[in-house]
Amino acid sequence: MFFFKENKKKKQIVKNRQDQNQNQYQQNFLSTDLNQNLQELQNIYQNCIDVVFREFKIGGKTKAALIYIDGLSNIEEIDASVLTPLMKESDAKENTDQLIHVNYILEQKLTVSKIKRVQTMTECIEHISGGNPVLFIDQQSEGFALGLSNWEKRSIEEPVGESVIRGPREGFTESLGTNLSLLRRKVRSPQLKMKSMKIGEYTQTEVVISYIEGIADQTLIQEVETRLNRIKIDGILETNYIEELIEDNPYSPFPQILDTERPDVVVANLLEGRVAILQDGTPFVLIVPISFYSLLQSPEDYYQRSLASTVVRWMRYIFLLISLLLPSLYVAILTFHQEMIPTTLLINIAVSREMIPFPALVEVLIMEIVFEALREAGLRLPKQAGAAVSIVGALVIGQAAIQAGLASSPLIMVVALTGIASFTIPRYTAGIALRILRFPMVLLAGTLGLLGIMLGLLMIVTHMATLRSFGVPYLSPMAPMQGREMKDVLIRAPWWKLNTRPRLTGTDNIQRQGPNQKPNPDHGDDKTSKGKGGS
Amino acid sequence: MGMLQKAAKILFVSIHFILLSGCWDRVEVNDLTLILGLGIDQTKDGQIKLTAELVTPNAGGGGQTVGGGGGGGGQVQTIVSSGTGTTVADAISDLQERLPRRVFWGHTKVIVFGEKAAKAGIHQHLDFLSRNPKIRLRSNVLVSKGTAKSVLELLPPIEQSSAEVLRELSESELLLQVTVKDILQMLSGDAGAAALPMVKILPPEKGKKELETIAFIQRTAIFKKDKMIGDIDDKLTRGVLWLRNEIKEANVTITLKEEKGNITSTMIRAHTEFIPEYEKGKWKMIVKATSEDDIILNGTKLNLMNPKYTKMIEKELENEVNKRIRDALKKVQKEMKADIFGFADLFHRKHPREWNKVKNRWEEIFPTVEVIVETKAYVRRPGINTAPQGLPEDEVKE
Amino acid sequence: MIEKGKISAIQMGIMIYPTIIATGILLVPAITTRHAKQDMWLSPLWASFIGFLTVYIAVQLNYLYPKKTLIEYSEEILGKFLGKAVGLVFLFYFLQANGIIIREYGEFVVGNFLTNTPLVVVMGSMILVCSFAVRSGVEVIARLAEMIMPVVVILIFVNIILLIPDMEVANMFPIMEKGIMPSLKGAVIPVGWFTEFILIAFLLPYLADRNNGKKWGMISVTAVMLTLSFINIAVLFVLGGVTDRFVYPAISAVRYISIADFLEHIEAIVMALWVAAVFLKVTVFYYALVLGTAQWLNLSDYRPVVFPMGFLLLLFAVWSAPNLMELTHFLGTSSPFFRMSIQTALPLLLLLIAKWRKRTNNPNQVKCQG
Repeated sequence: MFFFKENKKKKQIVKNRQDQNQNQYQQNFLSTDLNQNLQELQNIYQNCIDVVFREFKIGGKTKAALIYIDGLSNIEEIDASVLTPLMKESDAKENTDQLIHVNYILEQKLTVSKIKRVQTMTECIEHISGGNPVLFIDQQSEGFALGLSNWEKRSIEEPVGESVIRGPREGFTESLGTNLSLLRRKVRSPQLKMKSMKIGEYTQTEVVISYIEGIADQTLIQEVETRLNRIKIDGILETNYIEELIEDNPYSPFPQILDTERPDVVVANLLEGRVAILQDGTPFVLIVPISFYSLLQSPEDYYQRSLASTVVRWMRYIFLLISLLLPSLYVAILTFHQEMIPTTLLINIAVSREMIPFPALVEVLIMEIVFEALREAGLRLPKQAGAAVSIVGALVIGQAAIQAGLASSPLIMVVALTGIASFTIPRYTAGIALRILRFPMVLLAGTLGLLGIMLGLLMIVTHMATLRSFGVPYLSPMAPMQGREMKDVLIRAPWWKLNTRPRLTGTDNIQRQGPNQKPNPDHGDDKTSKGKGGS
Repeated sequence: MGMLQKAAKILFVSIHFILLSGCWDRVEVNDLTLILGLGIDQTKDGQIKLTAELVTPNAGGGGQTVGGGGGGGGQVQTIVSSGTGTTVADAISDLQERLPRRVFWGHTKVIVFGEKAAKAGIHQHLDFLSRNPKIRLRSNVLVSKGTAKSVLELLPPIEQSSAEVLRELSESELLLQVTVKDILQMLSGDAGAAALPMVKILPPEKGKKELETIAFIQRTAIFKKDKMIGDIDDKLTRGVLWLRNEIKEANVTITLKEEKGNITSTMIRAHTEFIPEYEKGKWKMIVKATSEDDIILNGTKLNLMNPKYTKMIEKELENEVNKRIRDALKKVQKEMKADIFGFADLFHRKHPREWNKVKNRWEEIFPTVEVIVETKAYVRRPGINTAPQGLPEDEVKE
Repeated sequence: MIEKGKISAIQMGIMIYPTIIATGILLVPAITTRHAKQDMWLSPLWASFIGFLTVYIAVQLNYLYPKKTLIEYSEEILGKFLGKAVGLVFLFYFLQANGIIIREYGEFVVGNFLTNTPLVVVMGSMILVCSFAVRSGVEVIARLAEMIMPVVVILIFVNIILLIPDMEVANMFPIMEKGIMPSLKGAVIPVGWFTEFILIAFLLPYLADRNNGKKWGMISVTAVMLTLSFINIAVLFVLGGVTDRFVYPAISAVRYISIADFLEHIEAIVMALWVAAVFLKVTVFYYALVLGTAQWLNLSDYRPVVFPMGFLLLLFAVWSAPNLMELTHFLGTSSPFFRMSIQTALPLLLLLIAKWRKRTNNPNQVKCQG
């Protein structure tokens, strides 16, 4: 009963809030009286010193006002294209008695390319907040939003988190417009669609769903839209807000949505029938749906030769296991299955462990935590201090811990190797999942040895098998097995072999490219001979 | 269910895991002492005396950790400890009582039976060894001349422990190598006989302490059922190896009739084929031994590039091998009457029906089996010399 | 329907293969060798006929009642009371069988690796892990099978390859020394395992492509037969005459592996990977049991049954035998007939009755229409 009541209360609160919000943004149309409009806006923007109300007269007669937010709009452009032409005394030809004709102003005076008429106060506020100055003219029941927004932006840089040796070096920025342009520059086809929506009661952040029509599954797009529409939140500052609100299993340690800073990654995924979610204010773009294996793929896999990529991929799979299992294997083998270690190695380990007071399990836990702390500190500290941390870390972990009798040298090896292995996973979020899971695995190993590790692994795999990302099984194409897609999981097949899109995302348009494109000297000859024959 | 509740549950379970891991099968390496070699002796009053060569990691470094950052330097010291009891298992408990660390079987490399224990029968010891899941079936089994304890007690100058010495010697396969699995197979097989390598202590060099030496494999102990009945020397052992198709490495030195000096050849490949035959109550075994050899020493004046001489050498090699095999047969088949060659299994496989009739009388039949030895030798290369070195040109016989 | 998931026929085949193999490779070589001696590698061949028969029965029954499982159609075939009774027999059998499987697993792990760990902990942790998989439904189990099956196959082949240096082909001879009888006698034991193919009766209704069900069932039987034969041959080659002296010859053979003094004593790893196969076996049995129980009780969901059933399984595992000797004795003597009668004979009876009823019913229907 108690829960029920509480739920009811909660609902009530939510409802009240919704009403409030609706009051705030009720559909009040602009009045024809300029002063009334200005009065209302001034009420809305009370205590907002960054909002500029610039009142002036068009051609020296008609009252008008320009409202914009300082720093979000291009002041020079406002001066040159709006204020200067409008405030100039009109030509002699003009009928000075009459009120200024709006169309005349739009057609001949304002030298601004993007102008939108706005009818309601809500729209006005949206545009002003978005950086577009709104022009009000007396006796007009509409305002004119001028596309002159311009604010300080970061230039396009190489993404730090996903650097490549070979491949494009541009990354998304915090500006949505820039990001969209980056996508459009790569996909010129009009089939590339971008749908906009606003999320966040206060932040009113613009969110764009992007996909390629004809490749992406229609139901998937709808599903994404429904899930995004369901979001009711004060504000979103990063795409992770969205991610947590729309993912399939919120308790899972595994990311079910891919985030990337790279336009090429987004486009590659769009071409495989996935949907991208871009948000203003962050360079990180979400991609749905994904499978576990796409977290283990680096964009560079597709930019290097296929054989090299295949080898690297396998190395990554092995290091994935190492980063998850090595500490627990150390504990299991050293405390349960000593017979597995070659005799001389076992004796060496025993010698180095002789002065350590802790059991192997505790030793591993301590050193793993220290390592994680060092890594975290290295990330958070300013770059200059980072070097200091790494020196301290090297000393603390490497030398002092051994001499102080806190850790044995084989363990340092294990911890270091685990650390390195976890860095080989291209997606940071996937790496975090493994780092977290490592600790329960160590505990299991300390309880039941290799059996414990296996049971833990089975739990993890079971969990992963139940996961879905927007309806796509997380372990596909391994399970359920899609034989044809192994070409992009077990190996990275050369491009002339990657003829089909993934079956679960690119169903509508499965063929990616023409068949039989394997380069072959004969092909060229054929063509030329044919050409000759034709002529 | 709230997330907090879930988290609390998980925490509860994990805490139990940590606490529980204190018991059960978890053993820290520091609480173990590895048994490298195991010796089983029989005392005068019929008790089993068990000697274990144990390795203790702390012995080397004393107070400080070995090697600092560089990792252990293999400062291994072994100690030898004994216990007695009516069975091996009893003896181990007795041994364990005197050790602060738990003995660990997973790294036992060699198992040495004292001569006395071997003569008294080894099947119950083997049963213990194969029943324990930690002991390797691949451990080498040996018999020692004298007590097993005296062999394990040695402080070998070359290897780290005498167990290691014995393992290396076994695995060199110059003479017989027998693992726990092998001896189990031999004893449970049709033949009912077995052969184990036998070690003898090498007398220490002058000036060295008494224990600073090694034991080496020199003979072969012959078992009937699980009891040792005798032993043969290394020469005969080679013959036995031929008859077991286990010969791997051997040098054969021969002298040619019309030439002075020796020629030694080394075996590259060797193979023995057995053709069991049965005719009217008569058991016959044709042994075809083939070897491929390289010449490694030429003490004669012959230029070995001459195919004629090669033929001669081959002939002589065949005779030599034939003789070795016959010697072995004479001793083992006729005198000891132990079928360590596994003829019983061969007959069983080829003539199962006939063999089954005589299964129970095999001990009587085995010495009467007629063995025909056919040897074949091929000299492949004369090494990298042609004419004998160290001789004037005119003395070489082309 | 209680289960909403759909699997493909290939997935079914992949699911059932490790399910049979898992415990089959443990005890079968030893018990078979006791009867068949060096012909023990032939025994799975003979035994597989029962496997083919069982798959045939399951497929035929499914053909008559496409959307129903064994529990559901036994009610339809035999009427309410008798059908429920037969359903109870099946459920009770699966409970007991799965208890024994878990016990085999527990005995193996405790006997070989974790000597001092309580049996209940080893078995209980396995049941817990399995129950999570069972709760997730048939689709997830199928996906797990797809992840685990390659591991099992690779495991078997790698081990066989590593054992090649220690193999002695002569151990195989003389083939059929005493005729065909010993190997047929030995086949009685693996038959028990092959009858477990009746489990597909619980999976067939959920196939997306029902037409391929028979094909993949048969392929699975063939694969199991080949694998068991291969393992038997490998064990025989390595251990020869002493094969039947070991409780778990396969693992003893693995223990013998030694490559370059480094790759030794890998049986713990083999055990760990084998655990994955057992996990699948227990899960599939567990799933059939839970699904059947829910259907028997006419529940709308099987999830609430999972954990109580898991607890029951643990009890059955503990009570199934007082010690390993008794367990092996049961598996080597009465169990094959017990298993065969319930897993093959009873479904066969059901099939015959169903066919007969269809035949007698049809004229009636014609009459009614007339």
